Amino acid sequence: MPALKLLPQLLAWTALAAVLLRGCTERRRLSAAACAAGFAAGVLGIALLARSLPATPYGVVRSLLGGSFLVLWVVSVVALYRSTGKGRPAARSAGLTGRPLAAGSLSFFFALTAGGVCACRLPAAGGDLLPLLAPLILVLAGLALLIGALALERRLPASLTVSFPGLLAALVALLLFSSASLLRLDLFSPLSMKVMKGTHDFVHQFMESILIPDHIFVRPAIWGYIGFLFGKEVGFWGGMVIWFTPVLLVLLALRFELLPQVSHIRQGALRRKLLAAAMRERNLRMVIPGLSLAVFAAAAYQSCYPSVEYWDPKPVLVSADAAGEILIPKKGEINLEDGKLHKYLYRQGGHEARFFVLLTPTGKLSVDLDACAICKPDGYGQAEGTVICYYCKTLIPLDTVGKPGGCNPVPLAFSEKADAVHINGVTLMNEWTRTVQSTTKKEGGK
Amino acid sequence: MSAPTIETNALSRSYGDICALKPIDLVVPEGEWLSVMGHSGSGKSTLMNLVGGLDRPTSGSLKVGGKDLLALSEDGLARFRREFVGIIFQQHHLVPYLSAVENVMLAQYFHSTPDEAEARLALERVGLGHRLRNRPGELSGGEQQRVCIARAIINSPKLLLGDEPTGNLDHKSTVMVMELLKELRAEERFTVVMVTHNQEVAAWGDRTIYLDDGVLVREERSRS
Repeated sequence: MPALKLLPQLLAWTALAAVLLRGCTERRRLSAAACAAGFAAGVLGIALLARSLPATPYGVVRSLLGGSFLVLWVVSVVALYRSTGKGRPAARSAGLTGRPLAAGSLSFFFALTAGGVCACRLPAAGGDLLPLLAPLILVLAGLALLIGALALERRLPASLTVSFPGLLAALVALLLFSSASLLRLDLFSPLSMKVMKGTHDFVHQFMESILIPDHIFVRPAIWGYIGFLFGKEVGFWGGMVIWFTPVLLVLLALRFELLPQVSHIRQGALRRKLLAAAMRERNLRMVIPGLSLAVFAAAAYQSCYPSVEYWDPKPVLVSADAAGEILIPKKGEINLEDGKLHKYLYRQGGHEARFFVLLTPTGKLSVDLDACAICKPDGYGQAEGTVICYYCKTLIPLDTVGKPGGCNPVPLAFSEKADAVHINGVTLMNEWTRTVQSTTKKEGGK
Repeated sequence: MSAPTIETNALSRSYGDICALKPIDLVVPEGEWLSVMGHSGSGKSTLMNLVGGLDRPTSGSLKVGGKDLLALSEDGLARFRREFVGIIFQQHHLVPYLSAVENVMLAQYFHSTPDEAEARLALERVGLGHRLRNRPGELSGGEQQRVCIARAIINSPKLLLGDEPTGNLDHKSTVMVMELLKELRAEERFTVVMVTHNQEVAAWGDRTIYLDDGVLVREERSRS
């Protein structure tokens, strides 16, 4: 089963290696060697890091992913600028990737990141007892797939070339696709959230500066727009724009690339033949970035609809005793101390409130509302050492559950007596009502 | 002396039991205008199809422009036809719903990429500058054949093949078309192989060969 879970990452690694080899076709051997070294270093480095600092590997790999996405942005803008003929001619694969240092570094970096992503997918990654056997098997599998990628690359038509920006777009797309199925490495959801938060802060600043008129005649219309800006869709579509723009810029840069000057050739047929060959070459160079557009879309889709199996139990209906106390036994049909999230539903006077009980990695129980103080109360699920807010897809590490603020679940006061958790029903209902009222009074919540 | 455009050695073509062209040795030097005459079924069109890369021989060797056509793949043969040969048919084969200039641009499209200005220039060269936007149905037979000539020469072929190009034209149009071809050959220096039934048309060539039942029976040089 773990091998099956690694399938998207391994497929992406094979495609990435094939694209790299095609991009560095003049330095194929060097690129293949750098790929092998980079992948092994990525897997083993992350595996060793996970043994000593369990939370760090995700941050490292995520930084590499984010960094490569930023570099793609810069390269795509520069490529578009150069395609207008204002800058130096666009660097093609034959130029930059033909140099040994550039080809080797590029191959090593992307293979390293791909290896890191694969290592993060290993079942025990982040745990204390990560066996080294699994990473070693992964390295061997990666090297076998690299040989497959070499064979695959040789079968690709020779005319299918790729420019440097196109190569970078494809490599970043494959890395992002590879990481999209890992909650803690996914970039698209946090990006959407950043856009949403940015919009939120922008509107807030306008309100603070009294730039938004707060007059009775304009208020309803203004609030309508503000409600729209605070909606999840703004974050999603804003994220989509940031996500896809670099590849589109690369495609535009290729499309606008200047064709060779042929006006000095007298014979029309020869002139047209040269032009047609240049156009055909240009169109073929657009194939790989064009395909990477689809890979970016697949990564965004995977991020929006992850195939991660969230632990999301159906809330168990509970009631309060005569003193208004809700008693939940620690052991019994449900073991509260099994490290899993356990959801409950409390009803009182036609109202209901959801909460959950969870044993955090610190060894303490935490009782929290199944809602946060910011988002609409869509609730939480549990996966990969985190709980996730279903509304904004924010990942909350388990050791911070029970702490108030941000998108953390709202903590509830409780006591532990005689092997049971005691929660005051009135306090729970008041806390739920207050939280839910504040997050749903405006359309969109967060 | 320049290399021959066409060189055949024991070239033959059979269709089942029928031998349409019996082994034939033929050399056509670069820039020559060769007329091919013979009765119906004598193998004229078969020979033309073979040298034009439209058909493959049953046996023998065939070199056109220094290329061994038998060694070419289907793609290679298509490239050869696209870049080396221009063909004028008796039946014109113009696309009826495209204008004259668009018909010429279609040949450019299959060769490389269309260039309307160049297509217009080609039609002006054949005296159809005033008929650019007319469709084939709006042109006379002679005019249609001139569109075909413009279409055939637009990609600067080294070999121009004509299969009865004046077969359904009146005398005046025939002379006009032949003069035009002569003029263009002088400018572009392409080799011409023209199949015809008409002795007068054949006389426009430098040399005429006569086929009978797939056999080259006679050849004669033009007096002019």
